[in-house]
Amino acid sequence: MVTLAAALSGLVLLILIARELLTAAWPAMDRFGLDFLTTKAWDPNKKLFGAATFIFGTAVTSFGALLLATPISIAIALFLTELAPRGVRGAVGILVDMLAAIPSVVLGLWGILVLGPFIVHTLAPALHGTLGFLPIFSTEPSVGSNVFAAILVLTIMIVPIISSICRELFLGVPQELKDGALALGATRWEVVRGVVFPYARAGIAAALILGLGRAVGEAIAVTQVIGNNVAIHWSLFESGDTLASRIASQYIGADTNLQIQSLVYLAVILLVFSLVANVLAQIIVRRVAGRHKPA
Amino acid sequence: MRGLMRSKKNGRLAAATGVVVAITTVAAFSVAGAQAGSARSSAGEISGAGATFPAPLIAVWQQRYEAAKGVKVNYNAIGSGGGIAAITQKTVDFGASDAPLTSDQFGSCNGCVQLPWVLSATSVMYNMPLKNTLRMTGPILADIYLGKIKNWNDRRIKSINPGVSIPDQNITVVYRSDGSGTTYNFTSYLNTVSREWKSKVGKGTTVNWPTGVGARGSSGVSGVISRTEGAIGYADIAYALKNHLKFFAMKNRAGRFTRPGLVGIRAASQADRKFSPTNELSIVNPPPGKRFLKAYPICTYSYVLLRTQSQKAALLKPFVTWALTTGQQYGPNLVFQPVPAYVVARGKATLKKVHS
Repeated sequence: MVTLAAALSGLVLLILIARELLTAAWPAMDRFGLDFLTTKAWDPNKKLFGAATFIFGTAVTSFGALLLATPISIAIALFLTELAPRGVRGAVGILVDMLAAIPSVVLGLWGILVLGPFIVHTLAPALHGTLGFLPIFSTEPSVGSNVFAAILVLTIMIVPIISSICRELFLGVPQELKDGALALGATRWEVVRGVVFPYARAGIAAALILGLGRAVGEAIAVTQVIGNNVAIHWSLFESGDTLASRIASQYIGADTNLQIQSLVYLAVILLVFSLVANVLAQIIVRRVAGRHKPA
Repeated sequence: MRGLMRSKKNGRLAAATGVVVAITTVAAFSVAGAQAGSARSSAGEISGAGATFPAPLIAVWQQRYEAAKGVKVNYNAIGSGGGIAAITQKTVDFGASDAPLTSDQFGSCNGCVQLPWVLSATSVMYNMPLKNTLRMTGPILADIYLGKIKNWNDRRIKSINPGVSIPDQNITVVYRSDGSGTTYNFTSYLNTVSREWKSKVGKGTTVNWPTGVGARGSSGVSGVISRTEGAIGYADIAYALKNHLKFFAMKNRAGRFTRPGLVGIRAASQADRKFSPTNELSIVNPPPGKRFLKAYPICTYSYVLLRTQSQKAALLKPFVTWALTTGQQYGPNLVFQPVPAYVVARGKATLKKVHS
């Protein structure tokens, strides 16, 4: 009974939040309609607001972070479950998990003080010098607040989430299966590719979507390092902004009701993004798990 | 089995009761504590919230006023927008904002009045490895913020800084990403010096910046500037001085280059003697003329927001009157120029509208 109530309260809360957001955003939704999604301007003086630049910024930073975090996280999890000696496993595992405990505002400060200057003086000149022909590295940054800094900060945030889930998944692979593969003459890498990965596939996909959800929703650390510029640039060394970051930076000081309503409209888009990502995760997990039923 | 279930149920019930009792106890204690607290300060308590810009002066007022009159003044420096929201929702007794209320805001804050009570200046800061104080004019500054001038060795910057060898260095424009009264002051100034700025961008606490990077708060802006060679940004003068940042001498309309300081603010303070019906004053870019020879062009009044009907009127009115008069003497140490007599008179007249 209590557990049912608890389960229902989650659903009720979600519905209430969604309703509250829709009510608060309605005047802006009514005024701008779906054009809001493709409008690039954010101009309080002209009473013109749009989400296009923030949707772009959110997509670039979160998928960028996911792209970097995926191989790193899976490598960490594999190392800790398959390769590392027992003593090392515990210590390194705890250290990686502790990354997740760093408050995002602290990570953002680190991004401002350490990461930003490092990108400007070391990383960006190197990348621009060697890979400058790629649009994403086509400019050199003059200031540490840029999209690339946001991607790196988000990567650090989601690596511990993905890697600790993956570690548990890999630990759950039955030893008999691995022993069997080894007995058939498989190498360690072949065991990982042929037994561990297929067995944990659904879980890995879900872990990635969880990480993506975290990256999409992160506000404070991103707003500290991304430069809060309303523009779409292909170069990662330019400033940009994301949905969550814009809400965090402007909600308190918003001047007009229309600006507040537009910010809540951004929140509605963010909520829809997260819900879609979650539902996708469920579908993937179910489909893959259905095809490959673990014993 | 049944007994076990019964006992489980009882256990749950007991746990739930325990939680309720605990919450009630804590609540009761906190209410009692609050009452004890208010009983201690006999003369009463008023609360305010808003702009960070006047916060250093208000902090001094809190101490002095409690010592002199026994009234405790609470102030939360949450930003101008937050202060406006707080007074609109009646969660505070007074609000504070650097930007005057818009007609929209007066509409939602039904029965609110504002009056100027603090006077200071916005400095334009820069990071260049040069010993001399650099000079700047309004039109050049506007073109920099429009993205039309991108390098420090621009001909126009050089021509107003004769004898200074300015190196080839990209300009990084920095602005406040959060809604800010300082932004309002700065963009109001650019509005008066550049027609293009006025038509393309305009003034406000948040505007559509054509170029540059945003940072949160004065601390964020000055942080980016101090770490970025070639950067330009703005913050209130007290902040720039406290953090040892370099700032421009700005050209006023009398043709002089002036630095933000008490002399320059005092000279600019009387540039607008005509109050709008809502007590708004704009003293950016004072007219040319002997009276404004020393005026610094980016000065601003900051406003206190009150409800005409307030339960705390009996405490609020003496406090705001004191702040407008006695309280002003604590300003100069913090680079706040005491407000001129005609502002005090207007403030006192406005306070007459406030009643309980």
